[in-house]
Amino acid sequence: MLQTAPNPKKGVVSRLAQGPVYWIAPLILVLLVTFVYPTFEVIRYSFTDASLTGKDYSYTFSSFINILSDSQVYQTLWTTFVFVFFSVVGQTVLGLAIALAIVKGEELKLRGTVFVRVVTLLAWAIPGVIIGVIWKIFLNESESGILTSMLHAVGITNVTFLTSAGSALVCTIIANIWRGTAQSMILSYSGLKTISRDVLEAADIDGASSWQRLIHVTLPSISSVLSINVILNIINTFNTFDMVMSLTSGGPGNSTEVLALTAYNQIFVHMNLGSGSAYATILLLINGLMAALYFWFLRRSGEDA
Amino acid sequence: MISKSAKIRASIGLYLVYILISLFFLLPFLWLVSLSFKTVPELFQSPPKLLPNQFNFDNYRYVLWKTDIFGYLKNSLIIVLVTVIGSLIFCLPAAYAFSRFNFKGKKMTMLAILFFQMISPLIVVIPLYKYLSRLGMLNNYGSLIFVYIAVVLPFAVWSIKGYIDTVPKELDEAAAIDGCNKFQTMCMAVLPLVVPGIVSVVILVVVKSWAQFIVPFILLNDSALYPISVGLVNLQSTADSITTHYLAAAAVIGIFPTLLIFVILQRFIVSAMTAGAVKG
Repeated sequence: MLQTAPNPKKGVVSRLAQGPVYWIAPLILVLLVTFVYPTFEVIRYSFTDASLTGKDYSYTFSSFINILSDSQVYQTLWTTFVFVFFSVVGQTVLGLAIALAIVKGEELKLRGTVFVRVVTLLAWAIPGVIIGVIWKIFLNESESGILTSMLHAVGITNVTFLTSAGSALVCTIIANIWRGTAQSMILSYSGLKTISRDVLEAADIDGASSWQRLIHVTLPSISSVLSINVILNIINTFNTFDMVMSLTSGGPGNSTEVLALTAYNQIFVHMNLGSGSAYATILLLINGLMAALYFWFLRRSGEDA
Repeated sequence: MISKSAKIRASIGLYLVYILISLFFLLPFLWLVSLSFKTVPELFQSPPKLLPNQFNFDNYRYVLWKTDIFGYLKNSLIIVLVTVIGSLIFCLPAAYAFSRFNFKGKKMTMLAILFFQMISPLIVVIPLYKYLSRLGMLNNYGSLIFVYIAVVLPFAVWSIKGYIDTVPKELDEAAAIDGCNKFQTMCMAVLPLVVPGIVSVVILVVVKSWAQFIVPFILLNDSALYPISVGLVNLQSTADSITTHYLAAAAVIGIFPTLLIFVILQRFIVSAMTAGAVKG
């Protein structure tokens, strides 16, 4: 670091400016109060029998014991797993496919590539709650629902969307893919843009088919972007709460109740802070695991560069 | 190298793909817009028409003047504005320090900050609810906006540090020789050069805070204070008084501000969305 000449008029500002402490202290303070302290508190609450409103509580393992012996937790975890798995696969594959289609279109100088890009990114600017509303209206099962009537037109009748358990989960996943593809697409797109044309042309000269070119040249070149993309999709989907809230509220029954929603319901509907915190702690563990993976991939892609 | 007929075939295939993609992403959204212009008889028409008979704004007028939407919009505007200003105050000096100072534990601190971005706001809001209710600070914009700021800070610090990293350090040295202290160097020499980056971050902060749901949903229970996201769920749950065409109009109103920003400032958004993840 460059040493500046001692300033004769050493005021408060310049003295403060010498070390990093004053520059980052406000930030660190905010993060300590809103992230570090609450995180420890959630973990602490998960080992208590506290209720949301009451003052007294005692320490116990009962939340975790109850959770582990309750079949509902396995239902929630399974629902969450299915929701996350298919959402992430859908978002990543669709995002990559659209990015490839746009890049290919740009190579062929087609019109409309910008339009497709904007349309795909549209959902990103829409609040999650409203995405839930949009899909709920779109999936209206009465005769006046648009999708229902379109399916009728091609002879498919008696469809259920949000009213039966299985199809509700499928619909929630599709709505979530609709929501999350924007980020996947733009990441894949910018990854594809970094591949040098020489490499692709060399593959062409070697007589590679487009499929071989995709598998052996394109995908390996953007593998680190794709891994980061997958992890971000996993984190976002695990944390999804707003869209599910307005789309299904976890129903019918608890067929679309994902982990974040269970934690919320336990605490703010059933007033059971201890047990809800135990669910939140599980979510926290998953967040932490994914963050660790993310760091690992970031470091690896940093070394490649 | 590629024959002309192969090129035409590829183009036709791509256009088919484009049409399918556009249908999937536009249809649910356009259906919402269409419903927002429909009258009650049109609403129950079967089979439904894709377009409304005429574009009348009655539903919008009703939603704006007869429901609480207007107040929700005003609340969101206030919250988002203060969040943007507050997050810049906290993040600009920190981002500058992370870019320009060398100190022990810098890397660890940066990683810890990134880690917070991965944590669901739900987890931190649970104890904050308990804590703030004991202090009597629920339904309080001060504490609410504090949490809003904290939620966007990790991402904002990382992005802006990335933008400052692209400014050569020689510039700081020149400013120092000219007699600037570090604070002046940051404000007058470095930050003006990263304005496009700051704009990108501000847009993302606006969109994220406009969409923020969990934090106000839990920390507010006075409906007069609700932002638009919570207000809409509130409208939706009182489904007796509000039917689908009103809900659709309300949803379009709720989307409009961020969508407008998105369409106008798309260039900045693409750069902001990719900055963190691709460069690392």
